Amino acid sequence: MSNRTPAAMANAATLATAADQEAATRKASSIELHGLHKRFGADTIALDGVDLSIRAGEFFTLLGPSGCGKTTLLRILAGLEEPDQGTLVVGGKELTEVPPHRRSVNTVFQSYALFPHLSVRDNLAFGLKMRGLPAGKRDARVDEIAAFIKLGDLVERRVDQLSGGQRQRIALARALVCEPDVLLLDEPLSALDAGLRAQLQVELQRLQKRLGMTFVFVTHDQDEAMVMSDRIAVLDSGNIQQVGTPSEVYERPANAFVARFMGHENLFAIHAREDDRVQTDIGWLRLVPGEQDSTPGDWLLVRPETLEINDTVPEGYNHLAGVVRERLYRGSRIEYVLEVNGHALMVVASNLGQRVHQAGDAVTISVCPEDLVTVVA
Amino acid sequence: MPGTSQHLMRRRAVVAETRHLLFSVGPGALWITLFLVLPSAYLMGVAFMTNGPYGLPQMPLTLDAFERLAGFGFLGWSPGNLYTLLRSLWQTLLSTTLVVIVAYPIAYYITTCRERWRPIMLLAVVVPSWTNQVIRTFGWMNLLAPGTPLSELAEGLGLIPPNMGLYPSNFAVTLGLVYNFLPFMVLPLYAAFEKLDGAQVEAAQDLYASPVRAFRHAVFPQTLPGLLAGIVLVAIPAFGMYVIPELLGGGKGMMLGNLVAMQFSGGSNWPLGAAGAILMLIATFIGLFAMRRIGKRLGGGEEVVI
Amino acid sequence: MTKRSLKRGLTGFWWLTLFFLYLPLAVVVLFSFNSVNSSANFAGVSLRWYQRLLSNEQILSAFANSMVLAIVSSVIALGIGCLIGYGMYRHRHRKLGWLIVLIYLPIVLPDIVFGISEMAFFVQVHEATGWLQPGLATMIIAHVTFQIPFVALIIYSRFVGLDPTLFEAAKDLYASPLKRVRHFMLPTIKPALISAFFLSFTLSIDDFVISFFTSGPESATLPIYIWGAIKKGVSPEINAIASLMIGAVALAAVLSLIFNRRRPA
Repeated sequence: MSNRTPAAMANAATLATAADQEAATRKASSIELHGLHKRFGADTIALDGVDLSIRAGEFFTLLGPSGCGKTTLLRILAGLEEPDQGTLVVGGKELTEVPPHRRSVNTVFQSYALFPHLSVRDNLAFGLKMRGLPAGKRDARVDEIAAFIKLGDLVERRVDQLSGGQRQRIALARALVCEPDVLLLDEPLSALDAGLRAQLQVELQRLQKRLGMTFVFVTHDQDEAMVMSDRIAVLDSGNIQQVGTPSEVYERPANAFVARFMGHENLFAIHAREDDRVQTDIGWLRLVPGEQDSTPGDWLLVRPETLEINDTVPEGYNHLAGVVRERLYRGSRIEYVLEVNGHALMVVASNLGQRVHQAGDAVTISVCPEDLVTVVA
Repeated sequence: MPGTSQHLMRRRAVVAETRHLLFSVGPGALWITLFLVLPSAYLMGVAFMTNGPYGLPQMPLTLDAFERLAGFGFLGWSPGNLYTLLRSLWQTLLSTTLVVIVAYPIAYYITTCRERWRPIMLLAVVVPSWTNQVIRTFGWMNLLAPGTPLSELAEGLGLIPPNMGLYPSNFAVTLGLVYNFLPFMVLPLYAAFEKLDGAQVEAAQDLYASPVRAFRHAVFPQTLPGLLAGIVLVAIPAFGMYVIPELLGGGKGMMLGNLVAMQFSGGSNWPLGAAGAILMLIATFIGLFAMRRIGKRLGGGEEVVI
Repeated sequence: MTKRSLKRGLTGFWWLTLFFLYLPLAVVVLFSFNSVNSSANFAGVSLRWYQRLLSNEQILSAFANSMVLAIVSSVIALGIGCLIGYGMYRHRHRKLGWLIVLIYLPIVLPDIVFGISEMAFFVQVHEATGWLQPGLATMIIAHVTFQIPFVALIIYSRFVGLDPTLFEAAKDLYASPLKRVRHFMLPTIKPALISAFFLSFTLSIDDFVISFFTSGPESATLPIYIWGAIKKGVSPEINAIASLMIGAVALAAVLSLIFNRRRPA
């Protein structure tokens, strides 16, 4: 897989294989979670009443910091944990109390959990064997999945002869070969280095689209979530904070937690409001009239890429005066840290050949009212 | 499952887990309880009973056995049993000290050798202890008997009277104990030396200049947990040793283990034997307790034993 | 004292200690080939003591007893110890102090106390009920008792060394509880099972004190037979049987060396 280029992958993706056709005819399953509660011990609340609908064939991501309950939710889907309260319905069937070995749901574990006493082939065939598929059919299915996921030459190896990336793919293939209604992925890329990780993110997303299978993916990395997902649920302390498409969650975060978790730094407390103007740490700013309710105590989100450093302020734009404190040259873009009214403000400018400002320069920043978002605390 | 309360589900899980625990751990726990805890408890009880006509214990409860152990018998006080006790203590102390003196340089030497040789060297030290204790002791009987080269050498040097041989004697017992327990001391000491922080030792050599002081301040404290583990591993079983004094010691080399065993064979005195066993148990638990305490204070002492 | 002379001194001490460790065994082996009945003079090489072994029925039956005792007790201990090892692992988050004490008891109890308490107990039970007459059965019970902790600890440490998600992966891949035992747990702990069996077997063969106190008149094992023969007066036949046992240990040592070498560290 080291010689895999994006072009070659794209090529592979357009080739229809037998597995592709089979996948296309299969019906993916939706997931309905209702009122899930889970506690560990006396005072650790992992899930505090979670309701969630995941559509059939969707790449759905559970995103949140460690301890937010995302892994517990995934384990309840897998049947490895029983909820204290609430119901789980997959593909119209109630699964809440069905043990894991009777659920058509498979998991790709963070540690991959490949059986060390078995060869790659026997690892891949394990689920089929446990389901009672005869040996001949098992071999055929294993060869098919190995070809599908481009692992043909690894099948006869021992598990301890594989690299991290290879293990990851074997773990994925071992789950896929069972053709589950839902595939669960528990931070499957977190142990890989950055380059391989980026490559597998693309591959995994393509694979999901080709198979049309419902994927539920867990991660704490918001970039990974945005790249891969159809929809994201952001969790914190056992509660769902927001469910939406990547752009909804990034551009219109439901609250300050989601905004911060999605990587936003330009969040300013709203101190006062007059008509369609709000007072924040960086000064008075005008919002779109009537559209955004906000009260003192809420936050104003200013996305750094919507800010412009310009001498002339376009008609109807807000403008602020600031001083450049730091400049980070990133090649495709330039990041500035400005000081405005005694507060730091991040600005990201695409590198289009415009003037590059130096630390110490006094500049004027403009932002369109439509790009300003108010966020509840 | 609407309708099933949180409380009920949790209770069901606890019951299932407890049943699992009982089925997995239960048979073994029951076995050890039935065939070791119960017999030991019975033995404890025997120590407080009266000696019957055939050496079997009888009611009423009494402290006679302990008085006998301290030397008070039908014929007034005689020091025989006390001598045995003191001899056990002395042999334990002496052999443990000698084992430390031999094992310390050996364990150190192994760590200075090339890494690929170390497992083989450890195996070489341990293999003799895999042979049966009776056979090993029998080997020493052959070596120390009258007329053997070693005995004749000792005779020639005037260490023993002519035609006596080196065994049976207290010397032979000490030798047998050292031989038997050497590997028990080498292994934990080796583990301690292997973990030794070389940088600290070098720093100490710079600081103190003299190797003796460097040893005292840097090497010795770091090997102390292994040393203490070894001492417990050697001293406890040495104190209760039966085979070696029985074969190499003769009548004047008897230790507590032999005194105890004697009371249970040939219709002697079960309560007296049981009282001796209690003494051994007390020594064992004091050793283990001291070990735990010291291990906790130094850190890492326990893991060496376990 | 220079570093080099220290090292040379240590090397000398090392070889001296090895000589000390192997001397008694070498003497036993040497005199097993002695053509005369003496432990002081070696008169010439002969195999007569080995030939005598083959016709000594007591030795043959002692050998058979040793083997039956070692195999039967190891098998029972493997079953019970495995269950405990797994139970300790599965419930390792609970407070199992009582169980740890119970498991370490057979290890820390001095042999002689272990032996006589079993003996006293068996004698009393036999008097009261007629069961547990001293013999192979009581020896097997006693041996299983001291083997269980070793098996349990070996199996436990194997389980602790496993990635805990493997258990979940097996569940996730449609393995029912019984299939998990057969297709996942037993194959995974197989190396630990083998070494636990061999350790139990060795402990049983090696034991003298506990066997001695729990045996009956018909159930002498090899060490008990040798003990009796020594007590009656040294005979070169003992050298021969002892040499065979030393040979078995040497073989085990070589095998363990090869086995450890082959396994990647």
